[in-house]
Amino acid sequence: MKRTNDELTAPPTDRAHPTTESAAASSAAPELERLLTHEDVDRARDRWEVVRARRKGAGPGSLGGVRLLWLLIGPGVLVFLGENDAPSMLSYAATGARFGVGFFLPFVVLTFVMGFVVQEMTVRLGAVTHRGHAELIFDRFGRFWGLFAMGDLVLGNFLTLVTEFIGVRAGLGFFGVRPSVAVGVTLVIVLGAITTGRYWTWERITMGLAIFNALFVPAALLARPDWHAVGHAMLTWRPLPSGSRYEILVLILADIGATVTPWMLFFQQSAVVDKGLQPRDINAGRFDTALGTLLASTFAIAAILATVPLFHHGINASDFQGAQFAEALEPWIGHVGAALFALGIFEAGIVAAIAISTSSAYAFGEVMHTGHSLNRPVRDAWPFYLTLIGSACAAAALVLIPSFPLEFVVLTVNVIAVLAMPPALAFLMLLVNDREVMGGHVNGFWENVAGVAVTILLIIAGVGFGLATVFPKWLGGG
Amino acid sequence: MDSEHIHPDGNQVELETDPAIAGAKQPDLEDPHVVLSLLESDQLVAAKRRTHFGQRKLSFGVRALLWSLRVYVVVMMLLALISVLRAAHVIR
Repeated sequence: MKRTNDELTAPPTDRAHPTTESAAASSAAPELERLLTHEDVDRARDRWEVVRARRKGAGPGSLGGVRLLWLLIGPGVLVFLGENDAPSMLSYAATGARFGVGFFLPFVVLTFVMGFVVQEMTVRLGAVTHRGHAELIFDRFGRFWGLFAMGDLVLGNFLTLVTEFIGVRAGLGFFGVRPSVAVGVTLVIVLGAITTGRYWTWERITMGLAIFNALFVPAALLARPDWHAVGHAMLTWRPLPSGSRYEILVLILADIGATVTPWMLFFQQSAVVDKGLQPRDINAGRFDTALGTLLASTFAIAAILATVPLFHHGINASDFQGAQFAEALEPWIGHVGAALFALGIFEAGIVAAIAISTSSAYAFGEVMHTGHSLNRPVRDAWPFYLTLIGSACAAAALVLIPSFPLEFVVLTVNVIAVLAMPPALAFLMLLVNDREVMGGHVNGFWENVAGVAVTILLIIAGVGFGLATVFPKWLGGG
Repeated sequence: MDSEHIHPDGNQVELETDPAIAGAKQPDLEDPHVVLSLLESDQLVAAKRRTHFGQRKLSFGVRALLWSLRVYVVVMMLLALISVLRAAHVIR
């Protein structure tokens, strides 16, 4: 079969529209046959597996339905387990150590519900338009607004990426591994995952790593949680947190920023496109997103419960980083529990480093109109891979600078994520309500109510943070 | 919106009846027609390069919303910076 590069294709001429028309039935089919790329063939291979599973799933008592879900899950699980990253797990750990079992348990679950509401919209956008989030923003709102959105994304992604390497360094630091070795190992894993030249392989490798986020569950069990108190807190949202209102507000913001962030929107939509999901797969995409939400919220709660012994023993954990949490926990949950906690922080950093650097690379490729798919060989999409590797290497290098103010970045990153989220949500809501883009898959009334409610909640949290910063004495901070 | 372009489940209906893959155990992906049969028309790299969603006309309300959120972000980022500098001072 003759395969050609994108450079042979003509410049943009037509206006896109939502369609489910088969490419083979398209009037442009003869020309498209000549312009097929490696990326198209790999995507078709993945689609063939989906078609075959769908056929088998049609039979009574068949396991085809299970296989179909197995084939179609990925972006949702990855985005949520990726967002259970090093700074997020440290935020949850700080929450458990500072406030114990109470208000923050159901609050964290609420933040994951908010995350599901917005991420589900990206599944529909990706499956219907087959375009990434950055590309759609540039197409529909123009370069001016697109550059603003990209600016927020680039800043947030890079700072977050730095914190992932801080997490990796801290996690392995518990085992006495030198920072340069820890960071180097992570870079090798990131490189190994992307050099497969197949989205499917990359996705499965990253999911295999991501499931180790579950390490926080045995760590929590070793902390012997008071399940009665946990149940009471989940049902009543009590006891309410006490102490500095400023500190409470910052933790609220950090816990929201641990679940709802701009990179997640860009990543999941681009991954849905790269995976080749079609409108018929939207329900499977919703299941994928719900599964990711369920897993990630369970592991987040586990991280809170694992550090509750620090709360009960009055240990001040306000300035702890990853390894210090693990070391402080050792007397209460044992060496195994502490090691699991440290490994969990290491894993969280690795998976997030892969997902966030991929998110940056997708957005860069979409905006620059260069190849942006993990189905492409490196030689066909080198700017995409260079962005991915370059951002990871730059973040890794910063973490190794002896005088680099690591604590500044960790303190800032989740707060910046929350502050940058309302404009990102505005673009998302406008796109997902745009009939020219979404056709019949636009938001319904309740989806809009939920989306607007999440946006307003984030703005209120941000304004509260702003007021607390300007008038710290009002909230007992500063 | 060109409503005639919306074809609910159309791709899959065509897929399952397309002679290139109907009943096939393992389709020949070296055959370009088979590849096209498995993908939607705007899922192909070449098709996506040639067609773009045009820029929408932004109403006054939308522009006001985007500008106000932009101002919000800039102000909040400054406040975040102040907060971090204060926290760093406390840490040191």
